[in-house]
Amino acid sequence: MLTRLSRFGPALPRLLSQPPSRFVSQSKPAGSAGSAAVTELHPAAGDVGHGEVSQYVKNPEYHGFSSDPVVDEWNMKVGFFFGISVALVIGGTFIHYLPDHGLRQWARREAERVIQQREKEGLPLIGEDYYDRNKIALPTAGGEE
Amino acid sequence: MLKILLPTLMLIPTAWLVPGKWLWPTTLLHSLIIALISLTWLTNLSEVGWSSLGSYLATDALSTPLLVLTCWLLPLMLLASQNHTASEPINRQRMYVTLLTSLQFFLILAFGATEVIMFYVMFEATLIPTLILITRWGNQAERLNAGTYFLFYTLAGSLPLLVALLLLQNNAGSLSLLTLAYSPPMQLTTYGDKLWWAACLLAFLVKMPLYGVHLWLPKAHVEAPVAGSMILAAVLLKLGGYGMMRMLTILEPLTKELSYPFIIFALWGVLMTGSICLRQTDLKSLIAYSSVSHMGLVVGGILIQTPWGFSGALILMIAHGLTSSALFCLANTNYERTHSRTMVLARGLQMVLPLMTAWWFIASLANLALPPLPNLMGELMIIVSLFNWSWWTLALTGAGTLITAGYSLYMFLMTQRGQLPTHITALEPSHSREHLLMALHLLPLILLVLKPELIWGWTA
Repeated sequence: MLTRLSRFGPALPRLLSQPPSRFVSQSKPAGSAGSAAVTELHPAAGDVGHGEVSQYVKNPEYHGFSSDPVVDEWNMKVGFFFGISVALVIGGTFIHYLPDHGLRQWARREAERVIQQREKEGLPLIGEDYYDRNKIALPTAGGEE
Repeated sequence: MLKILLPTLMLIPTAWLVPGKWLWPTTLLHSLIIALISLTWLTNLSEVGWSSLGSYLATDALSTPLLVLTCWLLPLMLLASQNHTASEPINRQRMYVTLLTSLQFFLILAFGATEVIMFYVMFEATLIPTLILITRWGNQAERLNAGTYFLFYTLAGSLPLLVALLLLQNNAGSLSLLTLAYSPPMQLTTYGDKLWWAACLLAFLVKMPLYGVHLWLPKAHVEAPVAGSMILAAVLLKLGGYGMMRMLTILEPLTKELSYPFIIFALWGVLMTGSICLRQTDLKSLIAYSSVSHMGLVVGGILIQTPWGFSGALILMIAHGLTSSALFCLANTNYERTHSRTMVLARGLQMVLPLMTAWWFIASLANLALPPLPNLMGELMIIVSLFNWSWWTLALTGAGTLITAGYSLYMFLMTQRGQLPTHITALEPSHSREHLLMALHLLPLILLVLKPELIWGWTA
């Protein structure tokens, strides 16, 4: 165990002084040669990304919005409140209570009423003509110029 | 319309006048409120016809879902780009917000236009911010090449449309969508009329993109920053589908015969681009090809010209808009951590980012059309209406669905499962911002299951 620890060498004091943002087990099942080398390449805290300090070191409650903790928190609140609570919840409620979309329910009610009426009168449910023939006034043969 | 357009325009002074550190929260708030107000467009009190009718702009059941999607996407783009622009000087960040805002402005004008020529002008105008987005804000030198492909494919496709529209204006006397729908069918018999038909649709087929003229799309997607990929996949491709549905009412008698080769091409494209996805190494390129594959199905549904075809196409466009945008955001969260889009270099991320895996899982399932998501409803309606036309199409659409499931699984397994490569040790945990972003993509998709008539369009 001690020999394995000693492989961390100079990385260990840094590791302890700056706790990593998240502890993820990187141990391999057999042989830890790879992990030791990698640990020296990438100290767990500090140099994340392009040699910049991890935002989580400066601000443990980092939400991914801004490096300024105050702006970060406000931006998070604005995003969640207006995105989820306002746009999705209030917007969703608004859409749910919209009047009959495209008069579809009205059309269905009307159709059912017509079906009942025609069945009662013994008529076919639907005529074969789309337009009433009697209402179409065709021009007479000589009527056209 | 103005109650959305003016606030959208006012986002530009907001972006420039607000103190630097409050730039992102303010513009996010502003754009979310615009998105909320845009929901009022969904009020539809008539069976057919237009609402919010003004002298130049109007909405109907076809354009409303796309307009709301456009408004919804701006806050999402702002959320997605916040991290990678943070290192830029503040004025460039303001410029970036201005660019995204102008894109939304042009898109609203394009979807809301009642004159075809105004639609055309706005269709072209969206090219400019998108081109700047790709060539200025992309990450690698290849972005210039991608910009050239993007610009010239789209321009070469849409110049014949301009000529065709001017010809139509000359013959019909008007280009207003309000009256063109009621104009008597034209006598289209000559060879020139057939060319005119092709000219009217070519621009949109390139924009969709149809298999064969799709090469610009993977390039543009791969090179664009995340916001560019998002808006490209979610809204700009849908301009093509929208334009086709608008033009087809005018092209009536010719489409029945002339559309056959295009339907076959589109369905063949579903198979081919799906197969290309199966052997992609680049994550963004995979998502881009999957967009081409889905859009092939949309082209088929539109060209078959049945009520179910049109409805399915619109449903699939909206659902795919949210899904593919979500996938691009997920790809970007990986990219921001590993600085690579190559899938083999970032495997087994479930070990480090387990919550992101949950989002990957849901987004992959949406991409492969899991019931009861609208993706499935759209695909089924299109497949059924194509099947009704010819039984043989089922071989193509069925195999296409199978391949879609295949590459969605491949994408999920490659990025999330397996062993973590040894070079990945200290990844940043996922941010609340990214979870919010994914929730704002996928929750509307799930909510749409509950009220699908919003995206049925005018035909169902």
